[in-house]
Amino acid sequence: MKAGPHPEPGVLEQFVLGRLSPQEMRETARHLLAGCPRCQEVTAVLWEPADVFEDPQTLATAEISEDAAYDAVLDRVFERVAAVESLLAGQRAAGRRLYEELMQCPAERRHLLLANCQRFRNRMLCERLIEASYEACFEDPRRAVDVARLAVAAVGRLEADDCGGGEALDGLRARAWAHLGNAHRTSFDLQNAEAAFTTVEALLNESQISLAEKAKVLSLLASWRKVQRRFAEAQQIFDRVAALYKRLGQWDLLGRTLLQKALVCGEAGDGEGEMRLLRRALDLIDPQSDPRTFLAARHNLINALYESGRVREAFALLYHTRPLYLQAGDRMNLLRLRWLEGLVAFGLQRIDQAEAAFREVREAFLELGLGYEAALAALDLAGVYVVQGRGADVSRVAEETLKIFQSYNTHREAIAALLVFCAAARLDRAGLDLVRQVSTFLKRARNNPDLRFSAPS
Amino acid sequence: MSTLDHPQVESSLEGFLKAVRPRLKAAFARYRIPPQDTEDILQQALMALIHHQEEIRDPEAWLLGTVRNKCLLYWREQRRRLYESVDAAVLEAIAEPVGPAQESSHLQHDLAQALERLPERCRSLLWMRYRQGYDPPELAERLGYSPSSISKVTTRCLAALTRHLFASGIYRRKVE
Repeated sequence: MKAGPHPEPGVLEQFVLGRLSPQEMRETARHLLAGCPRCQEVTAVLWEPADVFEDPQTLATAEISEDAAYDAVLDRVFERVAAVESLLAGQRAAGRRLYEELMQCPAERRHLLLANCQRFRNRMLCERLIEASYEACFEDPRRAVDVARLAVAAVGRLEADDCGGGEALDGLRARAWAHLGNAHRTSFDLQNAEAAFTTVEALLNESQISLAEKAKVLSLLASWRKVQRRFAEAQQIFDRVAALYKRLGQWDLLGRTLLQKALVCGEAGDGEGEMRLLRRALDLIDPQSDPRTFLAARHNLINALYESGRVREAFALLYHTRPLYLQAGDRMNLLRLRWLEGLVAFGLQRIDQAEAAFREVREAFLELGLGYEAALAALDLAGVYVVQGRGADVSRVAEETLKIFQSYNTHREAIAALLVFCAAARLDRAGLDLVRQVSTFLKRARNNPDLRFSAPS
Repeated sequence: MSTLDHPQVESSLEGFLKAVRPRLKAAFARYRIPPQDTEDILQQALMALIHHQEEIRDPEAWLLGTVRNKCLLYWREQRRRLYESVDAAVLEAIAEPVGPAQESSHLQHDLAQALERLPERCRSLLWMRYRQGYDPPELAERLGYSPSSISKVTTRCLAALTRHLFASGIYRRKVE
């Protein structure tokens, strides 16, 4: 091939950027194809930008030569961003007001307002609805579903311009659907949860979504897969989330993600994997800025150590973690501490200490109206009685637990498991294995009403 | 933790931008983004930051991470365009009917030499594409790739060919 005249360095640069006309692209490609060493010297520098900075001298030169040009761009962008930021602050306040107004209306009117009233076409209202749905998941899952449905309806009315671009709108839409799925999950409506997450997956595949938004959505999807006991998928998705946070430099969120992934390992029966991930999570979560998440990770690690039979290590870590529980100070955290103290004491054969702790915890949960937790603590107490050979007490606790459950809960399979336990206790045949089996089942069945209890032979 | 950690974001945006400015410039210089193309990248990243400020704990790390990622995407997109252009240029050059016989022979020779230096998998794929005129579905069938993955494989092979064209040393390093 004829090499032809050498293209100018500027032309070669435009070639690398794909900015020449097709005719020029073709001619340049043909010239390079012939292996022109002179032009290759130029293109070699243009090809791999990161290589240039292995040489600090080049970096300095590049910065100086481009400095003024970058300054002009930065000035323009900063000015625009400041204007948008001030506008957003106003919109946020408006979004909060609209939310209050919407929620004061009768439930049946809310969707009508969102569909027909222009004022409610507001991105910040949608954000507030998503936030409210998430908060309601912990206390009132049905309300969480209602509010998430409103968020989905609200995002359906938005256009790209309302959100500062198509990418932001697509991200918000995916997040609204993910929170709807999450709300269905917490209200045990598994069919609708799956339907919502199917939509989420389609949105993720079809749309261009920012990495931060994608990470949040995927995180909810992974939690759903965990509930479905599709552990391998859940772990893969959490890995993707972790990779996204790593790329974004969000180390604390990476820590949280590892904490969530550790729960999957725990559920899947991989205690070693769970502990390894929790230790990594603890390295990343800042105890100063996010003490609650740090405490949750420590709590789970102590529990995992106990579950894997490493009771002395659990005891040592609990000793060092106690100040964090006390610092958190709320009743739930103090109860968790007391419960863990009971478990560790039980593991160390300090039976009297364990009994006192479990009693205390069970009574406190009953007082708070948390029947499920009370039942679980009662089973731990029953375990203590089994070890002490106090058959009558085992039977009494079993009956009390069944009553608690029947009054608080309608989970049929959980009641069936407790009935099996009661029957065995009445015949003085309830061993520690059965107590553990029922307790493990109750923990799993809580998030999975389809789970069936198989009575031991 | 940056000083922009919410809820102080709104009041300190100006200060934050001032503080992060040198690092942004260094990032753009590092990734050799032409100044005219930095505008979109920076604006998208900053808009995302202010839209999600309530959820972002460390805005400086977040912003620099996002900018870095967008710079990489920028280059990926430029590369994709470049590979397409190189591919089109080679196809056009081969198909050009008006060249003298000697020139055509030079071209075939140069192309053969270029392909010779590529990994075996790319050599067969590009050979079939340029010399035998197979289109992607046919290549997938002949080479045993799934129709969905042939595009990725072709892009990788075009990347290898383009690297050869540029002789940046990356390809040579790999061979050595």
